[in-house]
Amino acid sequence: MATHPTQYAHPEALVETDWLEKHLNDDGIRIIESNEDILLYDTGHIPGALHIDWRADLQDPVIRDYISPEKFARLCSRHGIAPETTCIFYGDKANWWACYALWAFRLFGHEKVKILNGGRDKWKAEHRPMTREVPKYPETNYPVPKKRFDKEIRAFFDEALAQSKGGKPLIDVRSPGEYKGEITHMPEYPQEGVLRGGHIPGAKSMPWKNATNDDATFKPANELAKIYLDQCGVNPGTDTIVYCRIGERSSHTWFVLTYLLGLDNVRNYDGSWTEWGNKVGAPIAKSA
Amino acid sequence: MGQQSWRTDRKERVICSVIRSKFSFSMYPTKLNKIINLFETLPEDERRETLVSYADNAKKQEPRESEKFELVDVRKDEDCTDTVGVYLHVDENGKAHIRMTLGPEVQTLTRSMTAILCKGLEGSTPEEILDLPSDFVTRIVGTELVRIRSQTIYYVLTRIKSICKVYLDRQRVAQVA
Repeated sequence: MATHPTQYAHPEALVETDWLEKHLNDDGIRIIESNEDILLYDTGHIPGALHIDWRADLQDPVIRDYISPEKFARLCSRHGIAPETTCIFYGDKANWWACYALWAFRLFGHEKVKILNGGRDKWKAEHRPMTREVPKYPETNYPVPKKRFDKEIRAFFDEALAQSKGGKPLIDVRSPGEYKGEITHMPEYPQEGVLRGGHIPGAKSMPWKNATNDDATFKPANELAKIYLDQCGVNPGTDTIVYCRIGERSSHTWFVLTYLLGLDNVRNYDGSWTEWGNKVGAPIAKSA
Repeated sequence: MGQQSWRTDRKERVICSVIRSKFSFSMYPTKLNKIINLFETLPEDERRETLVSYADNAKKQEPRESEKFELVDVRKDEDCTDTVGVYLHVDENGKAHIRMTLGPEVQTLTRSMTAILCKGLEGSTPEEILDLPSDFVTRIVGTELVRIRSQTIYYVLTRIKSICKVYLDRQRVAQVA
């Protein structure tokens, strides 16, 4: 039996609510809220927090892809973010979209990124300060990133297919019903147009929620290791691809594997089931 | 220059909206029509603020202790992230009065639509509500906020229409009997 870590590989990638409340006005940090609920930020947010909309700010409006490096530089400059700024992400839904935004920032090579452990719900549950005041920071001149790190942390259809055919680790982080093909969307969500239900052949089911406690904080390192290394068979030396339906829940798992367990070579297949389930010629599996 | 252009643009939108409301036949109940016209004059940031303001007031649409209802439909289904309750009272003049309860996980836009519809449809007949076209929803919410998972913005209207349909079906059955 392998010995499991007792500490996160990168504990500095998390900040606790208590710490953040004491450092709201620190120089060199930007707090960034990213949610599924489009208007949630407008109803109140952590003082000084910026809003980054996963769709309007991070995605290209015409092509299904992320914004260009030029647009990313403009986004950061507009929000007073410099390459050396530490971006602390948080949001609703146990930080799904916060992890997604963090992953997108990493795509452009922004290195100083952290997640608020427990996200928006924990902050609110602890009755910490909220405001409706939208902050304005002095503009910066964020340099245009020289490249996007697609190869390093993002998987495309062909790569997911090769992973499937090669029998390498693929983790499906959706709900069991989606994995089995009984439903094509999250429980309690409206149908969103995927032709077929099921999963990528060879993918193991490990719903994202297994990585969190009831208060949306992340489980301890040894528990995470049991889940992903023992149960999912993820091998630190092998490439791993995670996916869900559109890439937000799998960003959460990508964060866990990359920052909390310290695995290299983990990629998020953001095309996920909305691409795979609709793709002509893509094989699916429906086993339990 | 930019500010002037914005003002002119907004003025035009206000005038168009007033003309539309005064001179064109409206297929919407008067109260709802006023809300639609208001939203159509708002620039995006004010539209968001107004939607949030309606969402803040959604709790005021909950049933009060003394109120009695002909029909109550409280359920959690797959089209919404939490339980939504619809309460219908139809008065002696055949006018509908709707109250709603929302679970804590219901999204902000759904809260906004709850307050808007409860106010906008107040005093309409169940028949008028059932015949209401849904195209006004995007005129209120705006294209910026209609996107993936946008079905949730139609959910409240669907639930209100559903309870009105049950009410009318029961009335018809009672009349035949």
